[in-house]
Amino acid sequence: MNIALTQQQARIEAERCLQCFDAPCEQACPTHIKIPTFISMIRSGNIIGASEVVRTSHALVNVCGKICPEETFCQSVCTRSKQDDPIKIRELHFFATQEEAKRGFVSTLPFPKSKKKVAVIGAGPSGLGCAFELAKLGYQVDVFDKGKQGGVPSKSIPAFRLADKELESDTKFLSKYFSFKKKTINGNAFSQIQKSYNATFLAVGLGKDRPVEIPGEKLKGVLPVLDFLESAKMNPRKMKVGKNVVIIGGGNVSLDAAATAKRLGAESVILIYRRSEKEMLVWKGELEEARKQGVEIRFLTIPVALIGKKSVEGIKCRRTRLGKQKDKSGRAIPIEVKGSDFILEAATVIVAIGQSIAADWLEGFEREKGYIKVDMNFRTSQKGVFAGGDMIAGEGTIVQSVAQGKHAAQAIHEFISGKQR
Amino acid sequence: MEYKKFKEIEIYPLRDLSYDFLGIHFENPFILAAAPSTDDLDMVRRGFQMGWAGAILKTTSVEGTNVDLCYPMMSTFEYEGRKLFGMGNIDLISEHHIDKVEYNVRQLKKEFPEKMVAASIMAGRKEDWQRLVERLEKAGVDLIECSFSCPQGNIGEDQGKMLAQSISATELTATWVKEAAKRVLVSIKITPHVTDIVEVAKAVKRSGCDALTASNSIQALMGIDIKSFAPYPSLRGKSTYSGMTGPAIKPITLRTIAEIARNVNIPIMGTGGASTWSDAVEFMAVGAGVVEFCTVVMHYGFRVIDDLRSGLSHYLDEMQFTSPKEIIGKALPNIVSHDQLPRKRMRSHIHENLCIGCDLCYVACRDGGHSAIDRLENRIAHIEWKRCVGCGLCNLVCPVDGCIEMLEWK
Repeated sequence: MNIALTQQQARIEAERCLQCFDAPCEQACPTHIKIPTFISMIRSGNIIGASEVVRTSHALVNVCGKICPEETFCQSVCTRSKQDDPIKIRELHFFATQEEAKRGFVSTLPFPKSKKKVAVIGAGPSGLGCAFELAKLGYQVDVFDKGKQGGVPSKSIPAFRLADKELESDTKFLSKYFSFKKKTINGNAFSQIQKSYNATFLAVGLGKDRPVEIPGEKLKGVLPVLDFLESAKMNPRKMKVGKNVVIIGGGNVSLDAAATAKRLGAESVILIYRRSEKEMLVWKGELEEARKQGVEIRFLTIPVALIGKKSVEGIKCRRTRLGKQKDKSGRAIPIEVKGSDFILEAATVIVAIGQSIAADWLEGFEREKGYIKVDMNFRTSQKGVFAGGDMIAGEGTIVQSVAQGKHAAQAIHEFISGKQR
Repeated sequence: MEYKKFKEIEIYPLRDLSYDFLGIHFENPFILAAAPSTDDLDMVRRGFQMGWAGAILKTTSVEGTNVDLCYPMMSTFEYEGRKLFGMGNIDLISEHHIDKVEYNVRQLKKEFPEKMVAASIMAGRKEDWQRLVERLEKAGVDLIECSFSCPQGNIGEDQGKMLAQSISATELTATWVKEAAKRVLVSIKITPHVTDIVEVAKAVKRSGCDALTASNSIQALMGIDIKSFAPYPSLRGKSTYSGMTGPAIKPITLRTIAEIARNVNIPIMGTGGASTWSDAVEFMAVGAGVVEFCTVVMHYGFRVIDDLRSGLSHYLDEMQFTSPKEIIGKALPNIVSHDQLPRKRMRSHIHENLCIGCDLCYVACRDGGHSAIDRLENRIAHIEWKRCVGCGLCNLVCPVDGCIEMLEWK
């Protein structure tokens, strides 16, 4: 998995593409990359042209080329899969952009230059997507972030899935289109920014782990997943896990944590999830990968209490069954099964049940389920402030965040040029 | 959530691919050939808007000419999964007579003054050829292509034969046409189905016509249904020979263009089997000034122009050429007669670390070469140099890029 295709492999794969008209893959990609066009270019040997096509629609080409969950988007609707197997679209995309990265970036057109300034707060996928699109439209863009550029891909996506060099290749390409300001934002700084820019795009993401809210959460060895992943990425040598690791979760982040725990030397890694495999909102590729590495998944299981004196020693679980009732996401609601409690040994428990917005200086915004509420044009309840990425809808994919940033930039453009309030 | 759609902002410069050829300024070398794709005003409009530099409107004729089409008219030469490796047609000229084409020319020249608008014509009698030329010239056409090579034969005497198969008829008719053309350029579209293409080209040159279009489709029998014995395309079990186009005929066209360019000093419009930008580069390298496309457009649509332009741009950058014009004729000095070829002892070299052990080279060499390949224990192919004559067959059948190469004996 994730070894770049060779030129010959790429050509052979590209030749399988049917070149559908009005292609479903292109519609399914949140950034609407012109997929048949770039594949036709790989076919004809015009690899740099192919990379240009990808970059025209997407700001983080190498990141998404490496880890975009293609089976969720483009490849899920590939017409070819009705005949045999879908085209490996993501891998062809990655092949093209890696070739460009190897040969040197193609210079872009001079973008228009306007005096109008936009602040982008947060240098994650959504912020960078927005900043690049705004630059194309001629705006002077300042991107603020307290850490380095990249957001989630830089902080918590494990290095075995995404190497720094892929992200760096993208941020290096983007660097000349806006100024990056390394700065911690607080309430004062935010109101200062609002005053000095024509518009603001908020893209600070989430970053705060949700507590599991069962007894024993304060025990030593119970780790919030972001803390765990960030430390493991920053300091893989210092990071230690116990012999038996249990992960409470069910999303992609929990799979990342499980695979990371395995790599850090845990003998047994068990992931508990309250519903069944069918309801799990994860990328199949990652699930398979985690299983291959020996991660055990216990479906229909919820945590009841964490056991231990000072440090965690075990976790008390309860079985569930799926009821007929469904929640808003259309998935069956799990019902606890009486008398089914059991205990799993665990020296480390990782809590990966979701995140909320960490930025505590965001005051006065209308919210929905804790996320910042925006309309179809990414407008928040405050005039001139737009928002996108995970902070408006919860954990999403990188490509969705980039797409939101890109669309928000268009809305910001309409706002500044007076076509919208 | 579905967001508001907006048009993607182009961020890469469109390289200038324009140059002059035949005294016409071409935006790029990519022209739509006389074919169904150029038979309708809206289709040509769409092609132009998408970036094609010019079009040759489908072959027209004087009013009253009977164009008796029959259907289905298309068939395919499918080879190992390539659906349109070759495409056959038993189409004839356009059902639109000159009055309609005059209108289309006027309209297109008005809407797209920067594009090359050409028309293709076919007639029998001298006065019809000349009337077509005069009327099109008046309508403002930039160039007239004369079809001397429809695979179903020309109009007039000697039906079923192609004009361009007779040197005297070619010269005579081309002279009539050129005589009638005051301002407009004339190109004669010829067939490779002749004994000596150079003689045909010389006849066109003598006529004073401005260019040659080389070359038309290849007469072909596209296939037979082995149960019903109906040839393709089957019209209630009957069929006739088709004109074959598409990738399958590219090498034939390349040879035709090269042979003309090496022997006759006349501008050439290349056509017949070009599908990609690199095909176009090859056509130009053997002497074509511009390249006409048909089958690939009929297969995938006008949108293929995106890669044609982009691919050629990056190729020019890579080669440090300033204009597509620099490609024209670049390969000609390298085409020599057999007796002038270098006669170096060659041998094949297998990079055994890349060998995947299919042993296709082994069987090809054993049964079609010189038994110069041995199979090592783990299926790896190994050249026995003493027996290798360097024919190159193993290199052709090897499925792995770069695994086998041909070296000179040192």
